[in-house]
Amino acid sequence: MTMQADNLNGKRRKDKPLEGVRVVDFTWVRAGPWAARWLATLGAEVIKVEWPENMDMLRQNRFTVPPGVEPGPNSTGQFADTNAGKLGLSINVRHPKGLDAIKSLISVSDVVIENFSSRIMSRWGLGYEELKNLRPDIVYVSMAGFGQTGRQHYFGTMGPAAQALSGLTHLSGLPGEQPAGWGWSYLDDTGGMYGAMCALTALKHRNNTGQGQHVDLSQMITGITLTGSAFLDKSVNGRESRREGYPPGNRTVWPGAPVLNNYRGPIAAPHNAYRTLGGGYNDWCVIACLSDDEWTTLVGVLGSPDWAKDAKFSALEGRLANQDEMDKGIEEWTSTLAKYSLADVCQAAGVRAMPVQSSEDRVENDPQLRHRGMFTKVNHAMLGDWKFQGAPFRLDGNKVAVKGPPPMIGEHTSSIMGDLLGMSNAELLEGYDEGVFWPETTPKFPYVEQAIEEAKNDVN
Amino acid sequence: MTSTNSGNDLPGPLAGVRVLELTGEHAQFCGKLMADLGADVIKIEPPGGQETRNVGPYLNDKEHPERSLYFWHYNTSKRGVTLDITLPEGQEVFKKLAATATLVLESFPAGYLPSIGLGYEALSENNPGLIMCSVTPFGQDGPWRDYKTTDLLHLAAGGQMASSGYDVEDIPDAPPIAPGGGNAWHIVSHYAYIGIMGALYHRDFTGEGQYIDVSAHEACSLTTEGAIAIYLSTGDVVRRHTGRHASVDMSPGIQHATNDGGFINTTRSGSNLTPARIKILASWMDEHGLAQDLLDEKYQDLKVVEEAGLHFADVLKNFFANMPLVEAYEGGQELNFPWGAVRTMEEIMGDPHLQDREFFVPVEHPELGQEFTYPGGAAIYNASPWRISRRAPLIGEHNQEILGGELGISKTGLEALQKTGAI
Repeated sequence: MTMQADNLNGKRRKDKPLEGVRVVDFTWVRAGPWAARWLATLGAEVIKVEWPENMDMLRQNRFTVPPGVEPGPNSTGQFADTNAGKLGLSINVRHPKGLDAIKSLISVSDVVIENFSSRIMSRWGLGYEELKNLRPDIVYVSMAGFGQTGRQHYFGTMGPAAQALSGLTHLSGLPGEQPAGWGWSYLDDTGGMYGAMCALTALKHRNNTGQGQHVDLSQMITGITLTGSAFLDKSVNGRESRREGYPPGNRTVWPGAPVLNNYRGPIAAPHNAYRTLGGGYNDWCVIACLSDDEWTTLVGVLGSPDWAKDAKFSALEGRLANQDEMDKGIEEWTSTLAKYSLADVCQAAGVRAMPVQSSEDRVENDPQLRHRGMFTKVNHAMLGDWKFQGAPFRLDGNKVAVKGPPPMIGEHTSSIMGDLLGMSNAELLEGYDEGVFWPETTPKFPYVEQAIEEAKNDVN
Repeated sequence: MTSTNSGNDLPGPLAGVRVLELTGEHAQFCGKLMADLGADVIKIEPPGGQETRNVGPYLNDKEHPERSLYFWHYNTSKRGVTLDITLPEGQEVFKKLAATATLVLESFPAGYLPSIGLGYEALSENNPGLIMCSVTPFGQDGPWRDYKTTDLLHLAAGGQMASSGYDVEDIPDAPPIAPGGGNAWHIVSHYAYIGIMGALYHRDFTGEGQYIDVSAHEACSLTTEGAIAIYLSTGDVVRRHTGRHASVDMSPGIQHATNDGGFINTTRSGSNLTPARIKILASWMDEHGLAQDLLDEKYQDLKVVEEAGLHFADVLKNFFANMPLVEAYEGGQELNFPWGAVRTMEEIMGDPHLQDREFFVPVEHPELGQEFTYPGGAAIYNASPWRISRRAPLIGEHNQEILGGELGISKTGLEALQKTGAI
């Protein structure tokens, strides 16, 4: 009997919304694992499929091994957060026995998710067309850079290249300079969210109809859908993207450029980043006034200096035309205050202001994230008590939080094969001997040795 | 090709889900995501229309609430009614609508709807399956709960700006830069969507609705990839670099100018470079006489390759400076280098690959007698298609259809509502 049938018979527990949903997670690096991480956070049983000879790049990320922790594939902080709450299966799907075992697993699962280059899974005999014969209502999400269809489906992307191709990079930066772009793989974060969204949407469709389906997601195209009204400004108005004063940095309109549009929201001034007391690398704040009234309030907060009372600043048009002078005046004031007090002073008066927060600020100094319990400590075998990022949504009827630590590579192979699929200890040991569950030439971690020992003891 | 975005009449995956949307910039994108996937999303605007209609760009730059391309973009596939929920008459109508809904999606200031008697408890009393999702800047509690924000403010507090900007060598004293496109609201809309889908799944098996509290600040704070993990692991704070990952180290530049004024982004020059890959790359460069020393045998040693990242970046920079953008980008991709051209909308419009995926969607605007091209879906669902079922609603366009036809309010009843200003 499948998990879903159990659910329909009312055996489902209600702690977490996706309790009882099983996900076979073939993804690696960031976007795919981040997608499956959200399915785990919502309660799904996510089984991460790996092979030690072709290790997930985040397991090799030397920048996030804490000092004093023995380096290795189970020791990186970024892998940990990206894969929290999953189970670990090591299996060689290019070995006939491995392929059989993974097919058995998929036949008792609800979702398959993968982010290889397009059509790799089909080459391994694990494409949608093959798998739907095993499990007709399987939800199968593919997350390739350019998608599975279209003439350039084989083009590869990582976050920054996908961002460049999607138009997102060109939206960001100072006019007359090369694009600043995005200082991280935004489309790995967002591509990941989309992967989760696709799986959840297709599960909803399965609830409606009993049908599974293949969802063909493109990371690069995801980016195009996130350029706001820039697309329509071109397709409808024919506006050229390469133009004077664009992109306008943190402003809504660059001084001297026509007041036509701003793809992030309403046109406003002031609307900029300003230095704050200390002058350190991240001692900056942002201030935005969306109306003349908000400007008047800000002038009061500034202490009504003479320059700010000048009538040329009283209406939006004048503030846009004189932004340099206005921003200079504002910055003289912001430079005298620490960024958090500045935001508090402004917000208390009704002025929109926020500190620019670094990673350290968000973990250590952000009173809101602290109040909301954004970081949860979970014990991790290598990292000790480790802070994991929580969910930005609270469901009052379901517990939604980090489900547990990430798996060590291959940590749950024997329990998945034995307890779940009913493989005998003898078969399991044979698989280890033949390089199905661990590469013959790769040294085994103690927990792998231990699982083998336990199987041997049971056989004896 | 297994499937396309159009060409059949199958219902979307969210068919049967009815959404009442009372939100502007915060979560209208979440409503669009649901509407394009088949949910019946009813946008409830105050009489006269919502303030997001007053955001440009406008059709042919003529400012008008029915000509905002910003509003058009974020409100496809929705129907629209006007309703003043501050008036008792409007509240009565809203309660009747809520009794028919699966989801209420709202972004009023924290505590506002309960204060006028329209909180989750009141609305779910006669509809226990109702899900209500509140999308606010900071969530329903905490010291910053009532702080006002914008897209820019969230990108500052959420950490996007601390990671984005320029190398000091490129622009000394450059500020942190907030990436464009309105993405703070996109980020929170994605997470709201995920939370809503979880609640819908739960509802399908239990019949129970629930209340969901979504914070834009938390959503943004989760969206800086490795920055938090690096800090937690090492205590180091990343620095901003031009067109590439913020990082602790001084990584080689990856964004290079081409000879036709474009830029190509190579992710990280070092990535994907093994001795075998160097040979492939150098042979291509050599065809243009620009391989410099890359064909040298010493680069057939992985250790040497790993230490030569800055040198490769220089050689690549010179190579790209001598070639047009598309040739550089497509040439690299054909050799399996995952590079990307920095494209503008000009280069994206009409892209044949996107055409193959039927990404460019014609949408009729019958009141204008015109058809315009909209961006399609990021994903192709082979059994339940994504589609734009109609352009954004005009102000009060479906008052008669929904309030009269579906709720059954009589003609005189509607007239009375109009008189009080409730619709």
